[in-house]
Amino acid sequence: MALPLEGIRVCDLTWVIAGPTATRVLADFGAEVIRVEHEQAVDPIRLGRPIVGDHPTLNNSGFFNYFNRNKKSVLLNARHPDGMDLLKRLIAKSDVLIENFSAGVLESWGLGYDELRAIRPDIIYCSISGFGHSGRDREFTTWGPTAQALSGLTLTSGLPGKPPAGWGYSYMDHTAGYNGAIAIMMALHHRNLTGEGQHVDISQVEAGIVLNGPAVLDGAVNGRTWRREGMPPGNRAWEPAVAPHNTYACAGEDRWLAIAVMNDAEWQALVRAMEEPDWALDPRFATNAGRLANQDELDARIEEWTSELDDYEAMELLQAAGVRAGVCQKPGDRFERDPQSRARGWWRMLMHPELGECEYDGVTPRLSKTPGELRSTSPLIGEHTREVLGEVLGLGEDEIDAAQASGALM
Amino acid sequence: MTGPLRDLRVVELCDELGQYAGKLLADMGADVVKAEPPAGSSARTVGPFVRDIPGPNRSLDFWYHNTNKRSAVFDFENDDAGRERLRKLILAADVAIEDRSPGTLAALGLGYGALSSERPGLIYCSITPFGQDGPWARFRSSDMVGLALGGPMNMNGYDAEDAPGAPPIRGHGDQGYKTACHFAVMGILAALLHRDHTGEGQHIDCSMHEALNSTTEVGLPYWLYKRENVIRQTTRHAAAHRTEPWRYPAGDGRDVLVFGVGRDNASWKSIKAWFQAEGFGKQFDEPRFDDPRNRQPARGSPEAGEILAEVGRFFAAHTAEEIYRGGQERGQAWGVIRSPDETLSDQHWHDRGFFVPVKREGLEGAALMPGAPYVLSATPWELRRPAPKLGEHTAEVLSEAGIE
Repeated sequence: MALPLEGIRVCDLTWVIAGPTATRVLADFGAEVIRVEHEQAVDPIRLGRPIVGDHPTLNNSGFFNYFNRNKKSVLLNARHPDGMDLLKRLIAKSDVLIENFSAGVLESWGLGYDELRAIRPDIIYCSISGFGHSGRDREFTTWGPTAQALSGLTLTSGLPGKPPAGWGYSYMDHTAGYNGAIAIMMALHHRNLTGEGQHVDISQVEAGIVLNGPAVLDGAVNGRTWRREGMPPGNRAWEPAVAPHNTYACAGEDRWLAIAVMNDAEWQALVRAMEEPDWALDPRFATNAGRLANQDELDARIEEWTSELDDYEAMELLQAAGVRAGVCQKPGDRFERDPQSRARGWWRMLMHPELGECEYDGVTPRLSKTPGELRSTSPLIGEHTREVLGEVLGLGEDEIDAAQASGALM
Repeated sequence: MTGPLRDLRVVELCDELGQYAGKLLADMGADVVKAEPPAGSSARTVGPFVRDIPGPNRSLDFWYHNTNKRSAVFDFENDDAGRERLRKLILAADVAIEDRSPGTLAALGLGYGALSSERPGLIYCSITPFGQDGPWARFRSSDMVGLALGGPMNMNGYDAEDAPGAPPIRGHGDQGYKTACHFAVMGILAALLHRDHTGEGQHIDCSMHEALNSTTEVGLPYWLYKRENVIRQTTRHAAAHRTEPWRYPAGDGRDVLVFGVGRDNASWKSIKAWFQAEGFGKQFDEPRFDDPRNRQPARGSPEAGEILAEVGRFFAAHTAEEIYRGGQERGQAWGVIRSPDETLSDQHWHDRGFFVPVKREGLEGAALMPGAPYVLSATPWELRRPAPKLGEHTAEVLSEAGIE
């Protein structure tokens, strides 16, 4: 079957996670993504744990493999004049150039947007940085957790009266990457309409602030902040304010079930599923207002019920009764126990030369006529140098050998 | 100037789950008609409200997630004529987005199969909690239930010493719905690029469960390669083994995020100069602090302990914002933990024109809200109209499409 982004070539100067996430999406949907790498400034994720084996080899990181499937890798030394020349020739043959260096780095290489446009007039140039390429703090830098803290995502995740739990991973590296893929595809559509390319400037922190728009508006309109007594509300509902809405301990070690009751009908369904215990028939719990006012007792009573039950069995029981409930699945549960992902063929396997048989998450969403697909593992470093220089740039074998000897390909 | 999707007509049949996908398209120029039942989308009942007074046009949540859309009312669930008008509107559109449970719209004659035979170029995206098929396809969900089953929630939480027995924690802001919508839009745009070349439309099955499954960073690799579940830790990444804290309290009671102090010699030099200029860290001039290995907390050296103690004293004497800016000005990717509303007072975002004014019912003047998630130089994000009142555009939408 055809792939929706077939024929789109991406010159990929990204590293770490945010940029490679954007190009993972483009590669999954069929773009030819060529990662340009340099041995003297290797992507630290190539050394990132988990690895297979005792020592990192640049090619045995499961973490790198997760973000870089379906891509090619070319070694080019941009500090060598011949390497820079080859990079410019690759840009001339690319539809998209993407990088996630700090603001100003690519300009310092002499590859600002104006220079890129001189090389390839309709280039779509996407930069992902912490603070964007304009504004007084544009030279400030971020990791995913920095962006989450500055945007409000960290503070809005936690139990009241406790330090923020925050996000236990770089949610904003993923999300800045998704924004990059979205903006690039929008720019490609505009190019299809007009022939015109453009610069896409993504700030990872802005990409985080937009995820809590209603909380910002609540501040701007109602003068209310999340930095107040009782907030953040843990797993209880903020808006709409409904109860019960929480996570409840189940039988076993660190097993939790999320239950969300959005209205009286769902409450009655929950009461029936619990076999109508006396406490649940108390008129204080008959209305949402009453349940909200007595939430501590309500949550404790429900947890008495769940704590005797297996979490998956409780979920099945509640779902059969029409109650919104879901196990807090651990990574191992998602892979080993989740019948939904299995039934939909979510997990895929490919053989990697150093990692062996590798399992991968699939490609979503699922397009009926041109679905994305898993075609290849992550590339070994420099695996496609000769192929790309030959097939894309048209270099002969002896030219490639000469470039190799000059130190341009390292 | 207009957005890159200015040629697209979109019909959106979405409530809380899918509405952000419609916003992402509308904000970049698409003409998005939100088709609502006579009682209005349930998203209109989600607070907070302007001055805390509920009403179908007063939800701030709805204002935010429905910018640049028009609203048209169709009694498509109960009335044949209303259903037929909506069907005609979708047949005149390029993209349809819906978030009903699987099969709901097909039963009304508004599914992809029935519509695509009449309009093969239609891109029809179904956003659901678990996808169109499989044993959980009919499970009921919510943002929290989605985050629980999908995996993100189990990554967030506490060290036992901070909150013994604490559960996995849901980050707020309907982030499960947001991630599902990011994937929906990626799928719609990929399908659109295919259609640009072939004229061919298609159906898109967007599962929140799968979108979240692909959005937990190190969580899956540790299972897939090591068969280890990462453990939750307070205000930092879940990991296979306990790691050093990043969060430090500042003198004003707020928190900063600091990733190591002086790991490399260049940053050590500038931080040392900063501390000493304010009367802290006089002992840092001693040669035993020169070796970067002595400065790493994980190695348990006395120098690392002294640095941590001095950092604690320095931070106690400064506000969180001072520490954040001071660190960044010295090349450190430090952060400050802000409430979402506190971002409004950071001038950097105003330099970039990030916050945009919105005017609406019940509001004196304009209020600021977050604007562009990406700045496109030729086809920028634009607030052309605020979120629509219920049914505000029914007549004009029908008349434009020639529907009686």
